[in-house]
Amino acid sequence: MTALSESVVGRVQRRLAVSRGVRLRPGAIGLNLLTYAIALFVFFPILWTVLAGFKSEVDAAATPPVLLFDATLDNYRAVFDANYMSFFKNTVLLAAGSTLLAMLLGLPAAYSLAFQPSKHTPKVLSWVLSTKMLPAVGALIPLIVIYKNVGLYDSRIGMILLYAALNLPLVIWMMRSFFADLPREILEAATVDGARFPTIMARIVLPLSAPGLAATGLLSLIFSWNEFLLAVNLTSANSGTLPVFISGFMTSEGLFWAKMSAASTLAIAPVILAGWLAQRSLVRGLTFGAVK
Amino acid sequence: MTAPSSSLAPPAAEAAAGRWTFLRSQRAASIALLLPALVYLAVMTQAPFLLTLWYSFHNWILTSPELGHRWIGFENFSYALRDDPIFRTAIVNTLEITGAIVGGSLVLGLSFALLLNRSFPLRGVARALMIAPFFVMPTVNAVVQKNLFLNPIFGLVNWVTTSLGFHRVDWLAVHPKLAIISMAVWQWAPFMMLILLAGLQGISDEIREAARIDGAGPFAEFRKITLPLLGPYFELAVLLGMIYILQLFGEIFVATQGGPGTETTTVPYYVYQTISQANDVGTSSAQGVLAIIFSSIIAALLLRLLTRTFRRGLTS
Repeated sequence: MTALSESVVGRVQRRLAVSRGVRLRPGAIGLNLLTYAIALFVFFPILWTVLAGFKSEVDAAATPPVLLFDATLDNYRAVFDANYMSFFKNTVLLAAGSTLLAMLLGLPAAYSLAFQPSKHTPKVLSWVLSTKMLPAVGALIPLIVIYKNVGLYDSRIGMILLYAALNLPLVIWMMRSFFADLPREILEAATVDGARFPTIMARIVLPLSAPGLAATGLLSLIFSWNEFLLAVNLTSANSGTLPVFISGFMTSEGLFWAKMSAASTLAIAPVILAGWLAQRSLVRGLTFGAVK
Repeated sequence: MTAPSSSLAPPAAEAAAGRWTFLRSQRAASIALLLPALVYLAVMTQAPFLLTLWYSFHNWILTSPELGHRWIGFENFSYALRDDPIFRTAIVNTLEITGAIVGGSLVLGLSFALLLNRSFPLRGVARALMIAPFFVMPTVNAVVQKNLFLNPIFGLVNWVTTSLGFHRVDWLAVHPKLAIISMAVWQWAPFMMLILLAGLQGISDEIREAARIDGAGPFAEFRKITLPLLGPYFELAVLLGMIYILQLFGEIFVATQGGPGTETTTVPYYVYQTISQANDVGTSSAQGVLAIIFSSIIAALLLRLLTRTFRRGLTS
């Protein structure tokens, strides 16, 4: 009875709060309009790039800018004809491969840190994170020297190995934070029943933290997809990724803005969609679980 | 002891022994789960740092193998810090550009967060549009802004400014730092916004209500309630932002190539130049070591903050 009446009170209070929020004060309308305007302004460069990708080259560089134009797919055709697709394929393979490897190594580690913490756990976590804090340029020189010597230079495997290491701290920290949220009783029950780690992981822990797992995977994909410093120094024709392709586009193609925009749109669309999908856990991922 | 004997209470000594083996095996298991990841991280990320340190004490130029690699002590460091004016310029540039980007995106991010921390129609859409820039590939950002927006003749920004009666400006030539900063602020304001928005949402309505009942106006409420309670979030946003923005590279590589002159040459870009154009392993390694030392100071502050909050999340 008390629970029921409490929930009714709660609902009424919420409804009151909502109606208070929706009541249209002139100041609120002004702020809403301002927010919409700023949101559009912030998003405009992306929108403008997408539009330019469907323009003819003349329209894309026209002053004053052309808003109404005959949309064409020529640029996309040209982009697909160029060696763009091999760069796209490399990017997908490197992002997916490195995320998979980071998960393979990171999930057991996160499990161990979350469910069997010891007095060393804070130190271990702190060290794991510190590997992410140091500038990549500090590791760049030996990587160039070693990769050229052992034949990993410009190879997909070499880049997957590196990107997995870059994403491993994210996987460990983020998944540890999601695992720590699970009710311990379920796990203890499973352990008492004699279930072993692979079973517990596959049957209980991962299904229960599926949204967190998805968000972690998406963030790891995004970071690998966009990485540039290592890619531009350690790859060339064989394993080059989209950031490298785009950075070389202007020097090789001159003033082809429409094609450049089409190539850019294809390069950023998957990542923006992934980012929107991961929205709910985004802050948690970006702050390594400090903000929930 | 193979048959299940749950109905019988085992003797005390055996129970203790069983508990110990259980504990020991659990401990071994937890280390076995943890170790592959830690070893992998150490090999892939720490070993290169140690090698950078080792190289930094050598004279080694890739294109002159006849010189070999000779131990020269601290010469690379004294060259970088004392005799190389460009490296000093690069440090100053890095500080200026990073500071401006962090400051700019923090102010914009806070404004965005305050606007979004209200209930209004299409709030989710506005939020989604505002975070999108953060996912854009840095090289795409630079290529698009450099051409579609900042091109002195065909760029959109110059069309707007000349339409308003201002002079035509070649932004990347005349204000290269500003151009780089504005590109990066566009990307990083959403990052700051997300962290600060999470902080704002953690401030309970009761506290605001209480402040209002005590007669606080909107400005007093902002200054006395919102800002202080956002403190840790500001700290987190600034430190994390600095760690990442100090490494800014793609935008500079594409938009300015460090120029004109050395106007936008930052430490990461200068290291890249030293290795890829001068092929100088020793000098570039010394620069890399100095960059590591520099970042470590900020990283240490951040790690202290994160380990302080890792037991209980900031909002819970």
